[in-house]
Amino acid sequence: MRITVKLIGPFIQALGFSEKKMNVPSGTTVDSLLGIMAAIRGRPKIVTRNGRAIAPGEEFQEGDRIVISPIHSGG
Amino acid sequence: MKGWNGHILRVDLTSKTFKKESFTEEFAQKWIGGRGFAVKFLYDELEPGIDPLGPDNKFIVALGPIAGIPAPNTGKAVVAGKSPMTGGYGDGNLGTRVAVQLRKAGYDALIVEGKADQPTMLHIEDDKVEFLPADAVWGKGTFETNDWIYAQYGKTVGVLNIGQAGENMVRYAVVRSLEGRAGGRTGMGAVMGSKLLKAIVVKGTKPIPQADPDAMKKAGQEDLKEVHRLDKESGWSIQSTTSVLAWCNEVAALPVRNFRKTSHPDAWKVDGERLNDARIATYGCPNCTMRCGITIHDDEGRESELDYENIGLLGPNLEIFDLPQVGSLNYLCDDYGIDTMSGGCVLSFYADAIDQGAVAGDYRFGDAEASKKLLGMIARREGEIGDMLAEGSLRAARKLGNGSEAYAMQVKGLEVAAYNCKFIPGMALAFGVSPIGAHHKESWIITFEVSQTSRDSYGPEKAQKVIELQRIRGGLFEYIVSCRFPWIELGWDLENYPKYFNLASGLDWTLDDFWTISDRIYALIKLFWLREYPQTDRKADYPPAVWFDPTNADTDGPIAGQVLEYDKYDGLLQHYYDIRGYDQRGIPTRATLEKLGLDQESQAADKIASLT
Repeated sequence: MRITVKLIGPFIQALGFSEKKMNVPSGTTVDSLLGIMAAIRGRPKIVTRNGRAIAPGEEFQEGDRIVISPIHSGG
Repeated sequence: MKGWNGHILRVDLTSKTFKKESFTEEFAQKWIGGRGFAVKFLYDELEPGIDPLGPDNKFIVALGPIAGIPAPNTGKAVVAGKSPMTGGYGDGNLGTRVAVQLRKAGYDALIVEGKADQPTMLHIEDDKVEFLPADAVWGKGTFETNDWIYAQYGKTVGVLNIGQAGENMVRYAVVRSLEGRAGGRTGMGAVMGSKLLKAIVVKGTKPIPQADPDAMKKAGQEDLKEVHRLDKESGWSIQSTTSVLAWCNEVAALPVRNFRKTSHPDAWKVDGERLNDARIATYGCPNCTMRCGITIHDDEGRESELDYENIGLLGPNLEIFDLPQVGSLNYLCDDYGIDTMSGGCVLSFYADAIDQGAVAGDYRFGDAEASKKLLGMIARREGEIGDMLAEGSLRAARKLGNGSEAYAMQVKGLEVAAYNCKFIPGMALAFGVSPIGAHHKESWIITFEVSQTSRDSYGPEKAQKVIELQRIRGGLFEYIVSCRFPWIELGWDLENYPKYFNLASGLDWTLDDFWTISDRIYALIKLFWLREYPQTDRKADYPPAVWFDPTNADTDGPIAGQVLEYDKYDGLLQHYYDIRGYDQRGIPTRATLEKLGLDQESQAADKIASLT
């Protein structure tokens, strides 16, 4: 299954990319995706799918756009 | 009294006189400082109905008990007066050495009254006050004015100054300080200009009063390092506030084309990544170790300091996706002393009004050169267009008619910050009930709303969160006077703020002790507005009509087909009033006012609006 992962703010430097397409196994969830992103483990974050909030255990669908962002607080 | 100097400096520009006045410890503990002092002074001293741009208005600089001490992010001051934009209470805060120097000069606040007979620079050095001519820089921008002052007094003095926009009383003229800081987007620069007050220069030589200076010094040194460590660990200042631009674009919250659209495929060209790539320097306020001001070269090679709000509203909102051009618009706003947020919204309103046929004109979205020209016309109030746009989008819309008020992106006359709330009910409420008109500093709920609640919800949990954030952001930080960034961006413990308050004052307060003060200040601001607008009702707390317009709904993306709904928003507003203890009109009830220790003010308000 192919998804697009977009990182926001300092997560770009932490993980070394800004946006990329990834092949992930069917059944991949937010939790399992974040599980392979060790550099931002434990950091407070917001994850959206196609612009809307997604529950940690919800499975991705083919073509999803996943955005992983630190928690902003709005200047 | 410890923690406060216990003195305010009152200056009369008309008579060129000044006096040092004292306040009591009871007063200090009831209002704390900053916004608390400012609204109390203005409520007590201004007659309702005065012209905010006349000599009867007052310009206040108010500090708090931790302002200026060598601890994290305490280099900020509140500037306040009756707002020329809204006609209500107006204030703003900005990073400035005035926070340090005015406290060292022995004052917790400065009240400027009257009107000078010529362009004037107020020079304060401890107990000495001079009224100096400022003709040499009248008509000049804020950068040249700042340099002129530095050349005379050195770079360590505290400076507040205005540009041509303030001089010409553009209603959203700001006060400027340091190289890139601005505050008072409710028109405080115009208030200074109306008094022919070009600049204030402050130097102090006395120690700032602290109950336990040794403990303060130790804690301050440790915490300045800790905040720096947290920043480096998180990487926050790589993009600082601008990382939110890419996120807003992803979640349909970016202002594009006068807020008609919520995202744009070219937004990446002006996002925090590109800004960081173009960075030439980084600036911060006094006592800051997490500096947020990123500068780039604008399209004419000048250094321009950018953050999210000014990129959002001068960039995507105008459909300008060229970062150096956005930098140039920002530079001009800073130099003229125009608020970048209102400036961006006024330009986008004008382009939209032309698009909609409300007025004829050549200005179009995406035209950076025409935008620059218009900013100059606004700053000089040049011609019919420049003069109309200098009044702000609400007044311009009322002049143009043709239904244009619906897309004047403002609340109570103050333009909204860079969050498109077409379908973000809680953030729309935060703009609606902000006590100075639409401002993001009061209650920034958007990430909570998008990530931790249902975006579709209009439930009481959102009203409760707005109030919780108002108590902290619009309350605590605005009256102890400190930057919220270490807490809000890096997660530095909120308990640190009562810690510093206690080290300064010798008191033993907890966070809970502050929330009543926050509520008292919000209630008194409401009463200030009530005196000015006795017929006020809940409609004053509604966001712009275009956010409710189904014909303005996105046609694709995460909120396709969705806009705010009037009935539901009104229900959310009622939740807010219920929790606050306000009546159906949005006015604090008698019981609420008495609970907050505003008995006298309650009686006065009762005569105006028959309290419930």
